[in-house]
Amino acid sequence: MPKVQFIDPQDVRKAGEVTFSPIPVNQYNKSIEEEKANFSKEDFIRIYHDMVVIREFETMLNEIKIKSEYNGVAYNHPGPAHLSIGQEAAAVGMAYTLGVEDFIFGSHRSHGEILAKGLSAIHKLSDEQLTEVMENHFDGKTFAPVKANFKGTTKELAIRFLIYGTLAEIFARETGFNRGLGGSMHAFFTPFGVYPNNAIVGGSGDIAVGAALFKKVNRKDGIVVANIGDASMACGPVWEGLTFATMDQFNQLWEGDMKGGLPLIINIMNNQYGMGGQTCGETAGYKVAARIGAGLNADQLHAERVDGYNPLAVIDAYRRKREILKEKRGPVLLDVLTYRFSGHSPSDASSYRSKEEIEAWQAVDSIIWFGKQLMDAGIATQEELTSIHSNNTDLITWGLKLAIDDSVSPLMDLGKHPELIGEMMFSDSPVDSMEAGREPEVNHPMEENPRVKQMKTKERFAFDKDGKPFSKIKQYGLRDGLFEAIVDRFYKDPTLIAYGEENRDWGGAFAVYRGLTEALPYHRLFNSPISEASIVGTAIGYAMCGGRVIPEIMYCDFLGRAGDEVFNQLPKWQAMSGNVIKMPVVLRVSVGSKYGAQHSQDWTALPAHIPGLKVVFPATPYDAKGLMNSALQGTDPVIFFESQRIYDIGEQFHEGGVPEGYYEIPFGEPDVKREGKDVTILSIGATLYRVLEAADQLQEKYGMSAEVIDARSLVPFNYEPVIESLKKTGRIVIAGDATARGSFMKEMASTITELAFDELDAPPVVVGSRNWITPAYELEDAFFPQADWIIDAIHEKIVPLKGHVVKSNFTGAEQIRRNKLGV
Amino acid sequence: MAIPVIMPRQGQSVETCIIGEWYKQVGDQVKAGDLLFSYETDKASFEEEAKEDGELLAVFYEEGDEVPVLTNVAVLGRSGENIEEFRPGGVGEAALTVPEEAAPAVESAPAAETKEAVLSEKREGKIKISPRAKVMAEKLGVPYEKVQGSGPYGRIIAQDIEVAAESLPKMTLLAQEKAKAEGLGAGEIATGIGGRVVAENLVAYNPVYGDDFEVKKLTNMRKLIAKAMHQSLQNSAQLTHHMSADARQIMALRKSFKKKLEAGEVSQNITINDLVCFAVIKALKKFPQVNTHFIGDSMRWFNKVHLGLAVDTERGLMVPAVKNADDLSIEGLSSQLSTVAGQCRKGNIDPELLKPEAASFTVSNLGNYGVELFTPVINLPQTAILGVCTIVPRPKDLGDGVYGFVPMMGLSLTYDHQALDGGEATLFLKEIKEQIENLSI
Repeated sequence: MPKVQFIDPQDVRKAGEVTFSPIPVNQYNKSIEEEKANFSKEDFIRIYHDMVVIREFETMLNEIKIKSEYNGVAYNHPGPAHLSIGQEAAAVGMAYTLGVEDFIFGSHRSHGEILAKGLSAIHKLSDEQLTEVMENHFDGKTFAPVKANFKGTTKELAIRFLIYGTLAEIFARETGFNRGLGGSMHAFFTPFGVYPNNAIVGGSGDIAVGAALFKKVNRKDGIVVANIGDASMACGPVWEGLTFATMDQFNQLWEGDMKGGLPLIINIMNNQYGMGGQTCGETAGYKVAARIGAGLNADQLHAERVDGYNPLAVIDAYRRKREILKEKRGPVLLDVLTYRFSGHSPSDASSYRSKEEIEAWQAVDSIIWFGKQLMDAGIATQEELTSIHSNNTDLITWGLKLAIDDSVSPLMDLGKHPELIGEMMFSDSPVDSMEAGREPEVNHPMEENPRVKQMKTKERFAFDKDGKPFSKIKQYGLRDGLFEAIVDRFYKDPTLIAYGEENRDWGGAFAVYRGLTEALPYHRLFNSPISEASIVGTAIGYAMCGGRVIPEIMYCDFLGRAGDEVFNQLPKWQAMSGNVIKMPVVLRVSVGSKYGAQHSQDWTALPAHIPGLKVVFPATPYDAKGLMNSALQGTDPVIFFESQRIYDIGEQFHEGGVPEGYYEIPFGEPDVKREGKDVTILSIGATLYRVLEAADQLQEKYGMSAEVIDARSLVPFNYEPVIESLKKTGRIVIAGDATARGSFMKEMASTITELAFDELDAPPVVVGSRNWITPAYELEDAFFPQADWIIDAIHEKIVPLKGHVVKSNFTGAEQIRRNKLGV
Repeated sequence: MAIPVIMPRQGQSVETCIIGEWYKQVGDQVKAGDLLFSYETDKASFEEEAKEDGELLAVFYEEGDEVPVLTNVAVLGRSGENIEEFRPGGVGEAALTVPEEAAPAVESAPAAETKEAVLSEKREGKIKISPRAKVMAEKLGVPYEKVQGSGPYGRIIAQDIEVAAESLPKMTLLAQEKAKAEGLGAGEIATGIGGRVVAENLVAYNPVYGDDFEVKKLTNMRKLIAKAMHQSLQNSAQLTHHMSADARQIMALRKSFKKKLEAGEVSQNITINDLVCFAVIKALKKFPQVNTHFIGDSMRWFNKVHLGLAVDTERGLMVPAVKNADDLSIEGLSSQLSTVAGQCRKGNIDPELLKPEAASFTVSNLGNYGVELFTPVINLPQTAILGVCTIVPRPKDLGDGVYGFVPMMGLSLTYDHQALDGGEATLFLKEIKEQIENLSI
């Protein structure tokens, strides 16, 4: 809560009422004659043409799906095809006014939007620009089969390129827009401003907000359109995205030219169904989706319902709404009413709606209606329209034949190149600044920053020259290491922004960002709503567009709140885009303690399980700074785990203390924190310090020297140093604070067994937390692994220690009993 | 923990020993150093001491039993301990019989069976051993089947193998024997399992010449000769008698044959050696007990004389046989002897003729080299061998108190005292002398 905003009880406790303005519904009322002032004959014809292209494209897919044949061409497409036949006017109307610099995001039902936006972009780009785009995409790989033997104009060629690239992508061909790795539900093509479509309903609801944030924060031209369905308005992340998009701070706290709303249109492609449910009358209560705008901000999101069966009505709305965005009064919500003739997918028998209903909508089919309007207004003749249809049938037939021709449109050859997809999981490219050459906006030189100054007085190594520890307050702590890396990047990369629930003014609940508020303008560091889905989702959209971002969600336990974003979006887009997109997102996640069952969990195993995420968990200031530097230098999504137990811990290992200058610690390299010869203890996260306690006791009481290795990273992870250690010791304990069952420790134990079976003198033993809820702080010792647990486990499972009396039960029988009970 | 008492091995060729007397009875308390039992090889009697304190829990062989060496004969331990796992013929004993020409891998196997190894109670079911311990056991040559596991669930873990390995000798059994016998020591090289010194790694450490020598591998031929010679001396009771024979008659015969050769009357160059062999055959006909093979509990008496002749070749010593030599005339004998000698030098001799069993007696002539006296080694299983030395003039009583120098030929008869007694051998040697001195053709 910024101090500048005074919450006056007198004020807020006053009686009053909230009033709403009427929300327009289908107010467009112009005749085609009137619109002749706004559209040329070519414009009208083009609108008609683009609708026909989409209709024919999807008709072809429908026939392929249900008959395995289109226009005499046979093909079997086992993958998905969520069609929008009937919705063409909405798509073309949405895309008509958009420039190449305007980005659209979509859903699983977005073929029409890809084509509409693509056709619109082709119309607006020059021949030279088009040629450049086509030649450059994957070094002309998509373009090559299209241009072969073609003799028409560049625009015609570009349309073919669009049809082919989309279709090849749908058919998983290597020549597709995303190398066939996206497919029907994720196809996109950024050079035409088509950003990822999303197979998760409402997936674009927060990602698109992040894209708009990117445009605003980095002063990029263009607006962002989130094409989401009417049913997605029920999804939490969509609401979270809307809440984020309508934060008051854009208008009240952001300064200078940054003041004002996001350039965003939430475009509800309202086809009135979500799967088998009917949103109006059955599965939602808003009746008119535009009503939602009234609940979000005083501007009611400038919401209105538009007749999506009239392309001109949609175009009209876009022209008007763009003005609002130009005035920085966004975001805007449009409820574009439409109807899909096709089912949810071709396998859907539409048993949830009546034949009469479908026929009634087909009777007002926008393509037929619009064609008649054009003929009635003397804009086009029947012959002209017929020829558009027949030309498109030829075009789509040509596209289909080319896209299924294995000789020019091969599938990715994973037999010959088995690691092709593996190579795309990460971009692994170090980049200093995501926008080189632009000066980062900061409030003062770094050395004038109060935190930076204060850190000068700190002891960068925990002990004095006699080995005595400095007082906690004097020690340069882990949080200082994180701060130093982050502030450094803020002064290097102008696109870098950070946000979370308590980032500004407060400086983070764990004081990592203390001092950052002073250094950075509002738009680079701000507080977000308490909605983790939007925090992570917007970061994804921000990064997709080319920015670097550090979202922070406080407690690890809140990862579940951003489940889809962390598990389905963040890890997927680099590979699903065929490496077109990079994802420089460093998600800070803090593992708690003392706060019980929902605030104390180490969930490292969850992101580590999902391919496409890098996962690190430093436990020392030196490692924290080095790993954060590496995370911020990279362009891959990183789940950066921290522990609330050790934010104040000083550097006890790195000789000479934490360097003041910039350095990186490569991901994946575990670090030997203490050398030993009798047993290896591999530690994840803050457990390191309990492991060291155990190592001390092992030495003192049993003369056993333990080699302590700090994993530091989980993904990637280099097992070689661990195996080297095992060659020496033959014994290994893997310890961490995660509940043991299904933990990453278990993954390590299994991998180590596979890799070094012959080195093992006992099975790798995992010492994690009990498979319980985390109890209160007072009871935590019975839950989290303690030093004596590690010794007990060694005694019981690895090598009996002479004279050792166990305190906890690590016997096999007990393990069986607990597993039987599921605890 | 119970330990086995094994029948020690005495000498390379000893495979079994006979239990002489048990000094302790089952149930007796025994102190380390106490005599347990006596045993005999075919050559000597020995006594075995207890290596550790304990109760004599079991005795597997009675007095008079013939026991293979390195076999468990008894068990020492604490009362009530299980002795079954040590009973000969049980699991694990199979590996105990070590071939004489033990390869390094096998050599060390019994080494681990020595009393110092940490041996376990007999365990039920599968052996539990960690992968690391197993690899280590194989590397160190520890028979882990017998190691008691100290790990969880009784698992054998690395430390158990380390302890067991430390209790193993640093030299293999064979190496220990060889080192003792030949005064050799461990060098820097140890190629045996677990870095143990095997016999071939032993070096004669000498502070004077240090490493001033080159080690050359033996040829197979050399190895065969070495083995045959060594076995000969190991496995028989050899001694040599020397005598001289007046060589005037034989030299005269040689002279006349030479003249005949030059005159073309004979085609064969009859040498002194041929004449000596001829005389020896005659002597053998009179002493059939020398024309024999000694084969332990019996002897082969040959009807015919199959004469072996030691031939020096580039590849080493060879002893071809001339079969039925007593059927031959002097020319025939001379011809056959020169033929087999020639074949030996060329290397196309019939290997059957080279077997020690092919000849019934051997003559080795070093006279050409000026050797005055030597002790030839018997070509076992033959009973004796005659060494023929050079002819030297010696003073001789020519009668009537007149002494003159007479050419005398040295004769050295080595015989196996197992087969022949000194008197017989002397008489046989004297017979040869007389045959030589009075040879007529």
